[in-house]
Amino acid sequence: MPTTPESENQTAAPPAERLAYSVQEAADLLGINYYTMYRLIQRQKLKTCRVLRGKLLVPRTELLQLLQVELR
Amino acid sequence: MNYYERPTPLQEAAYAEARQHFGEHLKQFKVECESLHNLERNLTVTANDAFKAAQQSSGRLVRTDDGTEWQHGVELMKNVFLCHRRAAGGLEFAAVESVPLKTHGIKEVLNSGPHVGEVLRTFASDQRKVFKLWKDDVTAQVNEYVGEKYPHQDMTIVTESFEIKLARAISERPAQTQNQNRGIRI
Repeated sequence: MPTTPESENQTAAPPAERLAYSVQEAADLLGINYYTMYRLIQRQKLKTCRVLRGKLLVPRTELLQLLQVELR
Repeated sequence: MNYYERPTPLQEAAYAEARQHFGEHLKQFKVECESLHNLERNLTVTANDAFKAAQQSSGRLVRTDDGTEWQHGVELMKNVFLCHRRAAGGLEFAAVESVPLKTHGIKEVLNSGPHVGEVLRTFASDQRKVFKLWKDDVTAQVNEYVGEKYPHQDMTIVTESFEIKLARAISERPAQTQNQNRGIRI
């Protein structure tokens, strides 16, 4: 079935960037294990926020900052 | 809520689902807790071995992010090593974390001091705080997970069962009674 340019554009549209990730997702993005992630959080190398039920979220900006610091 | 009540079939099902969903978390938690317990059990032996190794000045050099150089020693836990160096006042020991990120990674001194036993004890104590943070976060995630899967149902018993399981893994206490588990086999 032929696709219109409009539908192609819709398919190709990038997903909206997440503002924050769970610790598990952040660990996967950085390629490190959960324990190392929690150690970084405990030492405040990564700042987190808590959502309603108390779950930790790592802001995307924190992950980028960690990598930028590392890439210096 | 009756603290001694049995879980309902729905709560049992929610527990099983959550356990499967968080299986990797639980597995890693248990493995890392066991590493900490091993370290605590063998603290004196590790301290003595590290002291002897330090006197011989063996080990490859590691430069930490603060610019200091240490000689690499034994692995304490995943990505953490006991290192030593000769300082003005004599031998100095440090727990050094090496996080392998995309390029060179993070190499940071977690804690240091002249007494190797004290460095190990402080490190172990700090790791217990990390496990507490981890436990609280997993419990919150379980709470969110069962809350979304089973809206308008009381799943407190499920969340608490996970919390007890994780707390027990940290404390390494002997098994508790069935009543304290509130009926769910953990």
